[in-house]
Amino acid sequence: MTSAAVTAASVTGVSVPSWPAVAVSFVLVVACVAVVARERLGLAREVMIAAIRAAVQLVAVGALLQWLFHHAGLAGSLGWVAAMVLVAGGVSARRGRGLPLARTVSTVAIAVAVTVTLGLLVAGQVITTHPRVLVPIGGMVVSGAMQATSLTLLRVRDAVSDSRAQVEARLVLGQSGADAFAPHLRAALRTALVPTIDTTKVVGLISLPGAMTGLIIAGVAPLEAIRYQIVVMYMLLGAWAVAALVAGRLVERVLFDDAHRLRPLAPAGGRQSWMTARPLRVPARSRS
Amino acid sequence: MSALFALDQVSVVRGSGNAHTHALSDVRLEIESGTCTVVVGPSGAGKSTLLRLLNRLEDPTSGQLLYRDAPIASYDVLQLRRSVGLVQQRPILLAETVLADLRVAVPTLTVDDATELLRQVDLLPEFLARETGGLSGGEGQRVCLARALSLQPDVLLLDEPTSALDAFAGHAVEEVLRGLTGRGLTLVMVSHDLHQAARLADVVVVLVAGRVADAGPAARVLEQPAPEARTFLAGVS
Repeated sequence: MTSAAVTAASVTGVSVPSWPAVAVSFVLVVACVAVVARERLGLAREVMIAAIRAAVQLVAVGALLQWLFHHAGLAGSLGWVAAMVLVAGGVSARRGRGLPLARTVSTVAIAVAVTVTLGLLVAGQVITTHPRVLVPIGGMVVSGAMQATSLTLLRVRDAVSDSRAQVEARLVLGQSGADAFAPHLRAALRTALVPTIDTTKVVGLISLPGAMTGLIIAGVAPLEAIRYQIVVMYMLLGAWAVAALVAGRLVERVLFDDAHRLRPLAPAGGRQSWMTARPLRVPARSRS
Repeated sequence: MSALFALDQVSVVRGSGNAHTHALSDVRLEIESGTCTVVVGPSGAGKSTLLRLLNRLEDPTSGQLLYRDAPIASYDVLQLRRSVGLVQQRPILLAETVLADLRVAVPTLTVDDATELLRQVDLLPEFLARETGGLSGGEGQRVCLARALSLQPDVLLLDEPTSALDAFAGHAVEEVLRGLTGRGLTLVMVSHDLHQAARLADVVVVLVAGRVADAGPAARVLEQPAPEARTFLAGVS
C-alpha cells in the first residue's frame, strides 16, 4: 500500500473520539484511582498525575505535529527526525556508561540506521517524504535503533567489565583487539537482535501491532493494513540490525588503543572525554 | 652480549594529580637471553606490571625499555606479543576442547603439532579431545602453557603460574618450566615462592614498592641479599 492510499483511506469513514468522548474515557482513570485507593496502594495521586500528564504531553505533541505537517515540509520533518536521533543517542549512551565515547557511538549508530532504513524506503518509493509519513515512520525507526543500540552497548560494557581476562588472554597470543573481542561482540549483537527477531516471528499471533491496528481503526481493510505492517516489521528488523552492527563496530574500535590494549571503563559517574579516549601515540617504525 | 630486555629508569604511574601512585619507580634492569629470571616481592610491588610492560599490555610512563637493543614500542605490537608470550596467573581457556584451544593462536595447527605441544607440557595425546571445562587447574594451566608455546615464542612471561594450583599440580607445571629452561627458552616469571625461585631461577629480581631492591644471580640474591631486599626475603623464607 502506498502512503497516498493510506492518506485517502484515513480520511474516509474514520471515527475519531470527540473531546467529550475523550472526557468520558477519563472515567476509566477514575475507576483505576478508586481501585488503587481501596487497596491502599498509595498510588492514587501518581495514577492521576500520570493520566493528566499523558494527556497534556499528547496534546502538545499533537499540536506540534499538526503545525509540522502543514507548515514545515520536508526540511522540518528531517529536523524533527534528527532531534529524535539526538535524544535517542543520549538515552542509549546511558546504557553504555563508562565506555569510551559512548554518546558519540550511540548517536552515530542510530543516525546511520535511520538514514539507511528511511533512505531505502524512500528511494524504493515504499513511503513518501510527506511529513505525515516521514515523522511517525522515522519515530518507529529511531525507537527500534535506540533499543538495539542500548542492548549492544549494555552487553559490550558487561563484557569489558566481566571478561577482561579472557580478552587479554587472546591479546597476549598476538590477536588484534578486534579479533580478541570478536566472541564477545558476537554475543552482544546476538542479544541485541533476538528481541526484534522474536517479535517478527510472532507478529499477528500474540499481538496486533500498532501500525496495523491504527490503519484498521482508520477504516483500512485488514488485508491492506497488513501490507503496511509487513513493511514496518522489515523496516524495524533492518534498523535494529544496522544500529546494532554499527554500534558494535564503533565501540570495538574505541575500546582498544593503537597498541591493541583494552581501555579501562571510566569510573562510575565518570565521563570519558575525547582527550582521554585518544589513541596512545606509537612510533611509526615497525620492526616486524 | 647485549641484554634481551633493558629497562632504564622505567616508571609506571597510575592516576593523576594528588591521587597518583607509582606501580614502578626508576627500574633499571637487564634480562639476558636464554635465562630464567624470577621476580619476587610483596603484593603490590609491581611484579605483574613489570611483566605487562615486556609484551606491551602496558607502556612505561617514563624511562626507556629496549627489546633486542631497540625501543620496544618500535616493534609491531602483534608480532612482539607472538614472540614474547604471556601465561596468566589463572588458567583461562578460550575454546570448548583442548585442540580448539590450542588452535586459537595458530588456526592451522595440525593434530601432530598439537600432540607434540601436549608432550612438551607433559599431557597425553588423549587430552586433545577433552573438553576444557572438565580440566583440573593444573591441566588447564599446562594447556595454557602449550597454547603459548604454539607460537614458538622467544620469551615466555609467566605471572605466578603455579599460585592458583595445589602443590601436586604446581609441581607438575614447575617440571614443565624446568624442561623449557633446559631448551634455552628465555623465561621471566613472577613468583611468591622463594623455594621455587631457588629451584628454577638463574637470576632473581626482588621488587619492593615498585623499586628493584636487589637483582643478580639466584644463589647470591637468596643467600646474601642487598639490605633493601633483606626484610622481604627474611619475612617469607
